Amino acid sequence: MNKRAETILIFLFLSFFSFATIYPVLNILGVSLRTDNAFQSKSLTLFESQESYTDLNGDGIWNDDEPFIDSNSNKVWDSGSSFKSYITLFTDTDFLLWARNSIFISIVVTLTGVVFASTGGYALSRFNFKGRKFGMTALLTTQMFPATMLLLPFFILLSYLGLINSYIGLIIIYSSTALPFCIWQMKGYYDTIPPSLEESARLDGCTRFQAFYKIILPLSTPALVITALFSFMASWSEYVVAAIVLQDPKLYTLPLGLKSFQASLSTQWGLYAAGAVVVSIPVTILFISLSKYLVSGLTMGSVKE
Amino acid sequence: MRFFIKNIIFLLIFSYILPDSKTTINIWHQMLYENRKVLRQVCDEYEKNHTDIKINLTYRETEELRSSYQSAAMGGSGPELIYGPSDQVGPFSTMEIIQPLDVLMPDTYFNQFVSNAIVESDGKIWMIGDVVGNHLMLIYNKDLITSPPKNTDELISIGKKMTIDIDGDGRADQYGLVWNFTEPFFYVPWLGGFGEWLLNEDNTPNLNTAGNVKGFEFIKSLRDEHEIIPKECDYEIANAMFKTGRAAMIINGDWSWGDYKGVVDFGIARIPKVSETGTWPSPLVSTKGYSVNINTKGDKLSKTLQLLEYLTSSEVQLYFTAHLSSQPSSIDAVKHPLVTNNSLLQKSAEIIEVGRPMPIIPEMRAIWDALREQYQAVLGGTVSPEKAAKQAQENSIKQIAVMNEIIKPGIQSTIISWLIGIVLVIGLVMIFREAPLFISDYKNNKIAYAFFLPAFLAIISVVIFPFFYNIFISLSNYSLRTFNNWELIGMHHYIKVFEDPQFYSVLWKTILWTAVNISFHVSLGIFLAVLINRTLPAKPIIRTLLIIPWALPQYIAALSWRGMFNQEYGAINLVITKYFNLSAVQWLSQPFEAFIACILTNIWLGFPFMMVIALGGLQSIPRELYEAAQVDGATRWQQFKSITLPMLKPVMIPAIVLGTVWTFNNINVVWLVSNGGEPSNQTHILVSFVYKAAFNLYRYGYAAALSMVIFLILLSFVLYFLNRTKATEGVY
Repeated sequence: MNKRAETILIFLFLSFFSFATIYPVLNILGVSLRTDNAFQSKSLTLFESQESYTDLNGDGIWNDDEPFIDSNSNKVWDSGSSFKSYITLFTDTDFLLWARNSIFISIVVTLTGVVFASTGGYALSRFNFKGRKFGMTALLTTQMFPATMLLLPFFILLSYLGLINSYIGLIIIYSSTALPFCIWQMKGYYDTIPPSLEESARLDGCTRFQAFYKIILPLSTPALVITALFSFMASWSEYVVAAIVLQDPKLYTLPLGLKSFQASLSTQWGLYAAGAVVVSIPVTILFISLSKYLVSGLTMGSVKE
Repeated sequence: MRFFIKNIIFLLIFSYILPDSKTTINIWHQMLYENRKVLRQVCDEYEKNHTDIKINLTYRETEELRSSYQSAAMGGSGPELIYGPSDQVGPFSTMEIIQPLDVLMPDTYFNQFVSNAIVESDGKIWMIGDVVGNHLMLIYNKDLITSPPKNTDELISIGKKMTIDIDGDGRADQYGLVWNFTEPFFYVPWLGGFGEWLLNEDNTPNLNTAGNVKGFEFIKSLRDEHEIIPKECDYEIANAMFKTGRAAMIINGDWSWGDYKGVVDFGIARIPKVSETGTWPSPLVSTKGYSVNINTKGDKLSKTLQLLEYLTSSEVQLYFTAHLSSQPSSIDAVKHPLVTNNSLLQKSAEIIEVGRPMPIIPEMRAIWDALREQYQAVLGGTVSPEKAAKQAQENSIKQIAVMNEIIKPGIQSTIISWLIGIVLVIGLVMIFREAPLFISDYKNNKIAYAFFLPAFLAIISVVIFPFFYNIFISLSNYSLRTFNNWELIGMHHYIKVFEDPQFYSVLWKTILWTAVNISFHVSLGIFLAVLINRTLPAKPIIRTLLIIPWALPQYIAALSWRGMFNQEYGAINLVITKYFNLSAVQWLSQPFEAFIACILTNIWLGFPFMMVIALGGLQSIPRELYEAAQVDGATRWQQFKSITLPMLKPVMIPAIVLGTVWTFNNINVVWLVSNGGEPSNQTHILVSFVYKAAFNLYRYGYAAALSMVIFLILLSFVLYFLNRTKATEGVY
């Protein structure tokens, strides 16, 4: 097949797929811009225009003298839209405080994740120490218990240790939920790098640690990026554990803050949707800025056997 | 940057040490958004006059408030005051985690409230309400209807007039009546209208009645015969339709007034009288109020009671009324012009007259559950109303029996205690025997231990306590009735798990759920990663768009999908009917379709993660390999199969293994998209099943046993999979 035609075809497919992917997001964007604080509306499509009218004479059709409203309220932008929810979000709620708390926690968890996963994964990939296999499986088993059942014991443990309303407890729990995957993932990536590289480095006089630090780590940037992204997300969007650890509203993280817009049968949808949109921006930026390490860029020429 | 670091250290210290000489009183509540602001204002006022007191307010959504308070009070802490609806008194007083108020306060205090506001159980007072109401009523759009229907015949005729297809596409664009009719709480007023009630005098369920059958039939006829209500309608859709003028009437509670004010010119009325019986439907009336934590003692208790007195005083109640039109519970306040001149409140009081008090017995959970399941089955057309009423009665009796069951420890518990002892001894012996081997190995692999051990120990130490705690619970009789004094009883719950035929069907569904999700996540992820890895126009934009589902908070994304699955207005059905000329799919009201809806949502949520992992993995594949393959004349597919896939394997395997575990245990999506297992508890996977057992029916022992079973299933799967794929070994 012609290379150019192929590229166009793939491009078209991806554009279509991206559209399908962001459609629900546009929905949320629409909710955040509406003023009536309603989550769903009559027309749930972005394109179809919908009208309503007041049937004064009750004949079931629209006559010229009857009032007509175009409440096409699910288009992302129309006359009924405004940035009200966004303005309220920043001026009238503690959103910035929550954002600061969340950023702090997420950064600490990300750093912990990167440091421990890069080293832990290296140990698993390159050393055949005793208990290695057991350790790897044990890491996985920590993920297998239904989270809802861990809450009560977590609470008991944390209140015994006096870590309720403290970030330390939260950070430890977040790191330990993110790490098993990150360690495994780093190990998997290291496995694809031929050990001959380090061997030649050591012949050149590097210590074991130097070989890891100077040769292997730079080659593993894509995996480090994934580790960072994953740890960040694990703490950025986590709600259930945060809800039991943090009870003081001043310490709330973003998910906790957002959740406080929601009440059974009465949710501030405008604020919630606006918050959700804003919350996903840092992650997207993080991804954009990291993705140059994730895609191409790095030449693997040095890996030649 | 330095400033930033300073800030971090500052924060860290302050989050840890809270220097305070004041007495802090914590209140956990579930007040609506606007009410919270008013509560904060009155608390600020109190702090001003009592400088030694600091009041902390913590908001939790109703269900969560209940479960987190239970854990907190159980663990010996929790807030001094808890504010919520009266029906939480049932479980809390049974678990003995709140204090009876009648011994703490003088009689004169209680005399100032209307009788609705004093919540009693077993002859003791447990809660004092500051608002009365929370009842359903008919709310109508004054622009569309001049006077509300008085009986159901009028309701149907007005409803028909108001149900209009404007653009002539065969779908009604405006409905006469909307409401969250699939939820039992929104159905039971009709039960009263047909002359029956949920409970007998002695608080036993009373669901197998002719009135219940008629009620079922009536709702069904509104939808299918008269077509004045939407085919699928949950709370959010009903609310949105009413707010945008697409519905002439809605049945909703007094909490929604604030939401409609300024959006719709609305009036309120009783739910129309049932023409057949001549009886008014009876909405449930409850109160919301404060209870005192069992762990509040001494000086703090007296300060807490003082605050309680202030918060329930007629001044504070009137302040709430002035801002939020809430119906006060103090006798003095009710007589105040603020209340008597408020036409909405006067009308509302009329509606309350035909209401019935909300039952507070903890068994209500079981009754709601049984009713919900059968009622939705009737609406889905899978069961006849007569059979459903009978089944609902039987199931609720069965569930109540299970809930209230107290299993006494027998011979098994002694055996179990011995076994636990023996296992511990064996464990210790093993450790002592293995220890020297580790020490000698340590000398050879110092770096490995230094690299791996800290993280490993930290992770294990976080989960070890919860893990053993759960094993103990699963072997105990921990439940509603034994909340404070549970004992080990043995394997009872495990046997129960395996005896339950539902367990096997849910297990099968869970496996299907996991398998379908993971295969789509992985194949879609790898496929997109390979496509994106090429040179393409606008590549960064496409790449960014594709990871957005991962970046968005799951909660709102799942709900957005739920909206897209709506039968009449959801985007998916619009596309299906318009562009493919197929008939609309009942996504959310049929069990199979609802399950597919959950899966589709989860595929959408999960593929970006796999895509990112695959993208990372692709970078580790040397280009030379492909060049060499091309020289040898390998086709694209051959290259993909013999280079890309094998080289991706070490990177993808951890993601696949853990993805499987996470998907198996992913409660969020199923819970949100299917609204807690709807229709009729047919969309459960194992974890949501556990959640329901633990938090709805208070069967903690059973839920823990089920969790252990889940754990063992996953463990055996993972061990098998790792063995097959040799994932612990390197590729070189």
